[in-house]
Amino acid sequence: MAKIFIYPGTSLILSDLVARFGHTPLGAAMAIRERVQTAGFESPPLQITPEEPKKGLKYAAVEVPSGVRGRMALYGPMIDDADAAIIVNEADLSFGCMGCARTNELLVFLVKKRGIPVLELMYPRTDEEGIAFVKRIRDFLENLGRKE
Amino acid sequence: MKEYIPVAKGTVTKYVFIESVSMTPGDLAIRAYEISQGAMIKETCFGLQVTGTADEVDRIVGALRALDPDHIFVKDRGFPPGDPRRCRADRGGARPGFHGHEFEMSLIRHVSAGLEHIREGKDSEKTEPAPAALPPEDRDKKLDASRLKKIIEALES
Amino acid sequence: MTGKVRIAQLSCGPEYSGVQKEIEDAAGSVDAEIFFPDISLKEIKKSFAEFGLDVRSPDLKLAIARAKALVEGRIEADAVFIATCFRCAEAAIVRNELRHYIASNSKLPVVSYSFTERTTSGTLLTRMEALTTIARRRALLARERQEGLTMGIDSGSATTKAVVMRENEIIGTGWLPTTGVIDSAEKVIELALAQAGVNRGDIQAVGTTGYGRFLVGDHVGADLIQEELTVNSKGAVFLADTQHGPATVIDIGGMDNKAISVMDGIPGTFTMGGICAGASGRFLEMTSKRLGVDITELGPLAMKGMARQVPMNSYCIVFGTQSLVNALAAGSSPEDVAAAACHSVAEQVFEQQLQEVDIKEPVLMVGGTSLIQGLVHAMGELLQTEIVVPPYSQYIGAVGSALLSSGFLKER
Repeated sequence: MAKIFIYPGTSLILSDLVARFGHTPLGAAMAIRERVQTAGFESPPLQITPEEPKKGLKYAAVEVPSGVRGRMALYGPMIDDADAAIIVNEADLSFGCMGCARTNELLVFLVKKRGIPVLELMYPRTDEEGIAFVKRIRDFLENLGRKE
Repeated sequence: MKEYIPVAKGTVTKYVFIESVSMTPGDLAIRAYEISQGAMIKETCFGLQVTGTADEVDRIVGALRALDPDHIFVKDRGFPPGDPRRCRADRGGARPGFHGHEFEMSLIRHVSAGLEHIREGKDSEKTEPAPAALPPEDRDKKLDASRLKKIIEALES
Repeated sequence: MTGKVRIAQLSCGPEYSGVQKEIEDAAGSVDAEIFFPDISLKEIKKSFAEFGLDVRSPDLKLAIARAKALVEGRIEADAVFIATCFRCAEAAIVRNELRHYIASNSKLPVVSYSFTERTTSGTLLTRMEALTTIARRRALLARERQEGLTMGIDSGSATTKAVVMRENEIIGTGWLPTTGVIDSAEKVIELALAQAGVNRGDIQAVGTTGYGRFLVGDHVGADLIQEELTVNSKGAVFLADTQHGPATVIDIGGMDNKAISVMDGIPGTFTMGGICAGASGRFLEMTSKRLGVDITELGPLAMKGMARQVPMNSYCIVFGTQSLVNALAAGSSPEDVAAAACHSVAEQVFEQQLQEVDIKEPVLMVGGTSLIQGLVHAMGELLQTEIVVPPYSQYIGAVGSALLSSGFLKER
C-alpha cells in the first residue's frame, strides 16, 4: 500500500479513487485532522496557529506571504512522505486549503522535484473522458504495486 | 493564548457521497443507521458523514459502498460533524471545502462511467485515450492547419 | 441599531496564517461579529466572470463573488472587512479593486488590511471599532455643531491634548508630551479648563480618543470613548468647515498614520499604518534632535531647503537617520537635511497609504505634524494639490471628541 499525495488536496474524486484501488491518499483532511485532534494553543477554525507559517519556512522563504507558508506547513510534510502523486491540473474551483494559486504552483513543483512517480490529468468532461480518467488512475496505482 | 483541548481524539470522520439514480442520500442514511452500531451518522446534502474509530468507520463505509459501488464515493474529513468552527450555521457561509465538493459532484457521473466500465470488464478493450487521460500539454494541442482548412472549406461550401 | 454589527469578511489566507481568531476577537471586542457571505458555486462562477478581474487564486475569486453579492444586496451586512496576506501582489490587486468597488457602489463602510502571522487583535481593534462606529452610530456622526459646554481629550502615543468648547467655539486648550497616560491627561485638562475659565464640575459632557482613550475615559467618567479614525474625521471637517461633500484627512501621528476618505464628515475608506517608524512623526522628532533644533523650528527650516540635495535611500528610521548624519558630515546644510526628512516621511505615507484611499479634494492635514510646514509642503507637492491645515489642527482629536460628546449633554 503506497502513500499517494493528491492534488487538489481537497479532492473527493482523487481521495476516493486512491483508497478504492487500495492505497492511502494524502490530502488536506489528514493534515487538518491531525491538528484538530492535537493539544496546543487555540486557533480556530483550523487549529493552524501563527507558528505554522514559521514551520512553512522549510518550504518557502520568509518573503513569501504567511498564507502560502501556513498552507505549506500542511502539505509540505505530506509531499516529503509521499511514494507517488496524482495531480489534476485544474484546482481553479477548490477553495480554502487549495485557495491560493501561488501555494498550488509551489506544491506541484515540489512534487515534481522529488522525483516520485507522478500522474497528471485533467478533470473529465464527458463519459469517455471519465472512462480514460479512471483507467489511467487504476493503471498508475497498479504499476506502483508492481514496482514495489 | 488560550490552551486548546483537542476534540474527537482518536476518531475518524468520513464523508460518503452519493450520485445515483437508484438510491437517494435518504436511502443511504437509513441503511447507515441500520448498521451504525454506535458510530455517529450525520446526513448532508450530498450524502452523509460517519464518525467513529477507524475500524468502525471502515466497516460502515465498506458496507455502504457495496450498495452501489460505482456511485458512492468516500473521502476523509478533518473535523467531526457539526463542529462549530466549520458549520455553516455558525459561520454564515459554507466552509470553503463545500464549493470544491460542489464542483466535483457536478462531474462525478463521468467518474461513475469510468468505474462501471471497469466493473463490466470492458477495460481490456482498447479505448481511445480521451483528452482527460492525457497530460495537460497534450490536451492543449493546436488544431492541425490542414484540418482547420477542411473545416473552413466545409463551412464555405 | 441594536444587536451585533455584522461584518462581512472577504479574505484569502488568514486561516492559514493563524490570524483568523485575532480578526474575530477584534470584532467581538467591539460587539461586532464576522461572517462569511454564503453563495453558491454557480454564483461564484458568474460573479467572478462578470467582475472581470481574472485572478488565479480560488479564494480571491470567492472574495470577488462575495463582494458582488454584498454590493448587489443579495446578502446583507453592516460593514465589510477585506483581509489578504501581506506581500501578495495578486491579493493586493484584488484588495484594492474590491475596496474601490464596494466604496463606489454601496454605502457599506469598508476597511482593508494586509496581515502577517504576527497580526494581533490589538492591531485590528481600532479599525474594527471605526467600522462598527460608522455602521452603528451614523446618527452620532451626523452632528455638525457643538452645543453646551463639553471637553475632548486626545491621549496620543506622543502627546496628550485637551480642548474645552462652548456653543461651537473653542475656549480652552491644553497640550503636553505624553508621559504617564492619566497624569498627562490630568495636566492638559487643567490647562484647558484654566484657559477656558471654567470649573471641571461645569462640563456637561466629556469625550476621549487616542491610544489612551479607555484608560483616560474610565478615569474621567467619559460619556463617549471613541477611536481616532471617526473622531479625527469629524474634527477635521468641522475645523476646516468642509462638513459637506468629500474630503481627505491625513494624520501623520507619533506612532501610526491615518489616511481617511471622508464623505459628509463620515469616513468611507481609511487606512492606518504603523509598521515602519520611518514614516512617523517620531522620525521628524529624531531629525530635529540631530539638527539641534526644536521640533517647532524643523518646518520653517525645511521650507528653506532642497530635499533633492540629500540622498535618502531608506525609509527605515534607523538607516534614514544614518543617511541624514552622513549628509551632514558630507557638508549638507541643515535646511536641506530638514527638507529631505520631511520629503521622506511624506513620500512614504504617499506610497504606502494614500494609494489605498481615494484622494478627493480638499485634502486636510491634521495632528501635531501638520504644524511642520515642510512636511505639509512636501505632501502638497506629491499630491499636486494645495493642502489645507485647519486652525487648531494639532487638537483635532480633542475637538472631534468635544464636538461628538455634545450628543450626550447633561446638567452637572
